[in-house]
Amino acid sequence: MRRILIIDDEDDIREVAALSLEATAGWEIITANSGAKGIEVAVAQQPDAILMDVMMPEVDGPTTFRNMQQNSAISNIPVLLLTAKVQGVDQRRFAGLGVAAVLFKPFDPLTLADQISEVLGWNKNGHSEQPPPSEPAV
Amino acid sequence: MTENQLRKQTTSPSEDPNGEIDALLADLWQRHLPTLRERLDLLTRTAAEAATGTLDETARAEAQSVAHKLSGNLGMFGYHKAGGIASQIEHIFKTPTPETLTDLASLTQDLHETLASSL
Repeated sequence: MRRILIIDDEDDIREVAALSLEATAGWEIITANSGAKGIEVAVAQQPDAILMDVMMPEVDGPTTFRNMQQNSAISNIPVLLLTAKVQGVDQRRFAGLGVAAVLFKPFDPLTLADQISEVLGWNKNGHSEQPPPSEPAV
Repeated sequence: MTENQLRKQTTSPSEDPNGEIDALLADLWQRHLPTLRERLDLLTRTAAEAATGTLDETARAEAQSVAHKLSGNLGMFGYHKAGGIASQIEHIFKTPTPETLTDLASLTQDLHETLASSL
């Protein structure tokens, strides 16, 4: 069974994303409400993937991702950034960070697991079908 | 439940994910209402400041952040039109010009009216 870490400062987003992934895919969900806590949880719990908001107070998603990349305990965990619809220039900036994918809010709770599975090459039962794409999906 | 605590462990998808998610969204919307009203009020106040030329940087940044959160949250609850209006407001606060700042009052009014029946 896959374990997913959701990092978002918005309680509602965390709750809806968590329940939708549990209900539609049966994944195990852990959450954190800041980038700093997210790194702590990721190191301790070793999730299979991280779904992280871009715009968070104090340390934003891109900065948290760079910090994760410098931590060998978690640098290999795929990270999907979650952001409100952005202009093309922002899309390119996020894609250039090296994240696995950029997903957009508002997301559909019923298809979020499918989106994640597709970009990571997973089937929803938790098995890898193919290696994740080398280029970020946006 | 603490933030870093494992949530309930499930071994298989729900038999009725649609119903479970709909129920959660309805419950969350009710809990979200006080925060939503505060955010709408903040946007209205900030739009009035923008119209009178008294908008300072702190208020602009806070309003941009609030509009950003609304643009992400409202669509998730099914309020796609309202989320789109919030996105327009966010864009104006992000890159304000004298011309676009005057649009904020009507946009915040549109946002209120679009959500009025659900507030």
